[in-house]
Amino acid sequence: MESTSTRTPQARWLEALRGPLLQVVNYVLILLLALAIGGVIIWLSGKDPLAAYRALFVGALGKPLAVANTLDRATVMILAGLAAVVAFSTSVNNLGIEGQLYMGAFAAAWVGFGVRGLPQFLHIALALAAAALAGALWSWLPIWLKLRWGVEEIVTTLMFNYIAMLFTAYLVAFPFASKNTVLPGTDEILASATFPRLVRGSALNAGFLVALALVVVVQWFLFRTKQGYELRMVGLNRRFATYSGMPVRRSALLGMLLSGALAGVGGGAIILGFFLRFVTGFSSGYGWDGIIISLLAKNSPLAVVPASIFYAALANGSLEMQAVTQVPSTLVGAIKGVIMFLVTARVFLDYFSKRWRT
Amino acid sequence: MSEAVAMQGIVKRYPGVLANDHVDLTVEAGEIRAIVGENGAGKSTLMKILYGLELPDEGTIRIQGQQVRIRNARDAIAHGVGMVHQHFKLVPSFTVAQNVVLGLEPHNGIVLDQAGTRAQVAQISERYGLKVDPDRRIMDASVGEQQRAEILRALYRKADVLILDEPTAVLTDSETDELFAILKRLAQAGLTILFISHKLREVLAVSDNTTVMRAGKVMGTVRTASTSARELAEMMVGRSTLEDRARQRAPHIGEPVLEVQDLSVHDSRGILAVRSASFQVREGEVLGVAGVEGNGQVELAEAITGLRPSASGRILLQGRDIRNQPVRTIRECGVAHIPADRNDMGVALDAQVWENLACTHYYERDYSGRMGLALDRIRSMAGERIAGFDVRTPSLTCPARNLSGGNLQKLVVARELGDQRARLVVASQPTRGIDVAGSEAIRGMLLDYAAQGAGVLLLSADLDEVLEVSDRVVVMYAGNVIDVGKVDASTREKVGHAMTGGAASAEVPEA
Repeated sequence: MESTSTRTPQARWLEALRGPLLQVVNYVLILLLALAIGGVIIWLSGKDPLAAYRALFVGALGKPLAVANTLDRATVMILAGLAAVVAFSTSVNNLGIEGQLYMGAFAAAWVGFGVRGLPQFLHIALALAAAALAGALWSWLPIWLKLRWGVEEIVTTLMFNYIAMLFTAYLVAFPFASKNTVLPGTDEILASATFPRLVRGSALNAGFLVALALVVVVQWFLFRTKQGYELRMVGLNRRFATYSGMPVRRSALLGMLLSGALAGVGGGAIILGFFLRFVTGFSSGYGWDGIIISLLAKNSPLAVVPASIFYAALANGSLEMQAVTQVPSTLVGAIKGVIMFLVTARVFLDYFSKRWRT
Repeated sequence: MSEAVAMQGIVKRYPGVLANDHVDLTVEAGEIRAIVGENGAGKSTLMKILYGLELPDEGTIRIQGQQVRIRNARDAIAHGVGMVHQHFKLVPSFTVAQNVVLGLEPHNGIVLDQAGTRAQVAQISERYGLKVDPDRRIMDASVGEQQRAEILRALYRKADVLILDEPTAVLTDSETDELFAILKRLAQAGLTILFISHKLREVLAVSDNTTVMRAGKVMGTVRTASTSARELAEMMVGRSTLEDRARQRAPHIGEPVLEVQDLSVHDSRGILAVRSASFQVREGEVLGVAGVEGNGQVELAEAITGLRPSASGRILLQGRDIRNQPVRTIRECGVAHIPADRNDMGVALDAQVWENLACTHYYERDYSGRMGLALDRIRSMAGERIAGFDVRTPSLTCPARNLSGGNLQKLVVARELGDQRARLVVASQPTRGIDVAGSEAIRGMLLDYAAQGAGVLLLSADLDEVLEVSDRVVVMYAGNVIDVGKVDASTREKVGHAMTGGAASAEVPEA
């Protein structure tokens, strides 16, 4: 190894570029291989893989409106992904993002229909703040149990998902049951609490911009602030953080609460932007998507955006694929599974870093 | 004698490093050749090329006079080259015999020939005097036995060139002696032995010739019988400063910095590991703590640095009791800590170099506001530390994992001493696993720092190091701290006496 000064600028540039470039090549190859495996499955079931994939692409990104819908679906995924990134960066095992989404969603809806007379900006801000608070509170008990008695948060957060789902289901079935809806749900939120739409004919709304803003905030927080630095060091090596004199327990608490708050905002955003009321079962596992997205994004807040859009595109495209070619949308689940496998197994990356080194 | 291995003009480049720079190496059949050099001198790379684990960028290899291309380990084995790795590659649940034949099992049709396996392994082990029990599972075998199984595996594959990568690093003294006897028998039987080491005493004990490498080049090959440890060491590091500098200084010893009084500390199992220990470290003084590991040294260091609660007693730092204070408070009072567990405590391997340097200062007003970090100032501080302590790193932003062991430890030392604030330095095993030059540099840094008026508490299992660096020595035995006094000609003997609890006074080993 030599010091930086003895190297040419070009060499350093190449060095700096190789990391990201390698990642892009890696992910493109993983995607192609996953699509190929999915194609074989489609072909085996007697359908035309090319037609299916064409429909998948058209449904996801083929028209401006499809793009808008994909971005709309990505909104909650980005926030859930950020929640997972913050938790896992701190080595807090928050598997309760789904439940925190539910609590956040309900809190946002409650403020949305319950508080009157606020201007739109303030009303939305208040609803999102309530959502963040609800998500954070829901994550507080598991981390408190962990810090107080060493109860594994990986188990408690998981169990808290069910409590959150059933608790909100109870709330909309009895105390908050709305008389003017078919599905169990709350009353509709007021217009002043609704995210403005961004594109005519699509549900894409200002919530997407809020999500993007939070990506920047989280990136800044993790990499540019004292507390973020502490969180990451605790996550990378807890003994090192303790040895350095960092507040390890406080960091674990903060990491979990921030993660819960982001998940809560995610739940709030989907209510204020898409459903406009709290309904049971509104989330098709977005909390779990968030965990997988954080893995794809390798815990980088910025990378959560492309990973989420990709995931949303698969979800939206699969519906079109099913409608046009009768290839069931669940096939996309198989493709996602292959991708996850290839990403976590680091199939190509290790190969390339070996080959390119010499 | 005939030429067994000839490597000529071997060049191997890694990004930013020339690991092998036109290396020539010729070894005769039946020879024991030691290859010595510091970590990173290129000796492991050279052996990996010979065994096909790395491909050379340039150069040729001849084995028994035949020019060969070794593209992988399979090629190497086919040409009669075997390797015993530093970390054994054995299946724990298999027996010794099963491990030896693994991949080349004797068989009748598709049925494994168990009896034949045992017989063949027994035959080879008898021929070369490699004592093993072929039926013992690897997980039940001692380290020496595992190593013999590795050697047997190479012999079973008809190796006549045997490479051993730091074979003694994991062995006890008696196991080492046994290994050397085996190596000599193998050489007498005509095998060629290449072994990598940086323990010069062992090299002198067993090899016929010694090749010294430095910075990717061969510095020379000498007949072992006509050289000395000192000559080899000078060839390795390229300067003759070893061992001299330490005793030249005349320390100005001042007031006590650290006073430990009746300190008792429990270990993780709740057993008393430090028992009413009392001692002092004074300004400008290096106090060495010698002793067999596991006699309470870890617990003592952790109690002083705030990482482990202590049961009773006092820890006075310049008169202020810091016992059971938070780590940050203790650090701010002026205690630096170089932990024994470098990779798991001293650094976060996956964090970047600057992040590893910032961890004790990032929160201070010079380096951050209420929330945001002053990255420019932190990075320039990190750059200064790296330059000041000669930490060789490709950049400030690469993961610490990319640094060699010696540079990683220099990084720790740079962080702990670089701010000049520490009044007391607690250094645990500061040079363990680090090459000669790196160890020298780190000891020098500690001595220089003490010379500026700080106290140094040096806990080390390496008695040579303790005697070289310390002004005064205490020994830890069964949790007790026994004062041995100022370092002089009789210290070694006194330490040996105290280390064994005073029981084995008649047979103090010359360490």
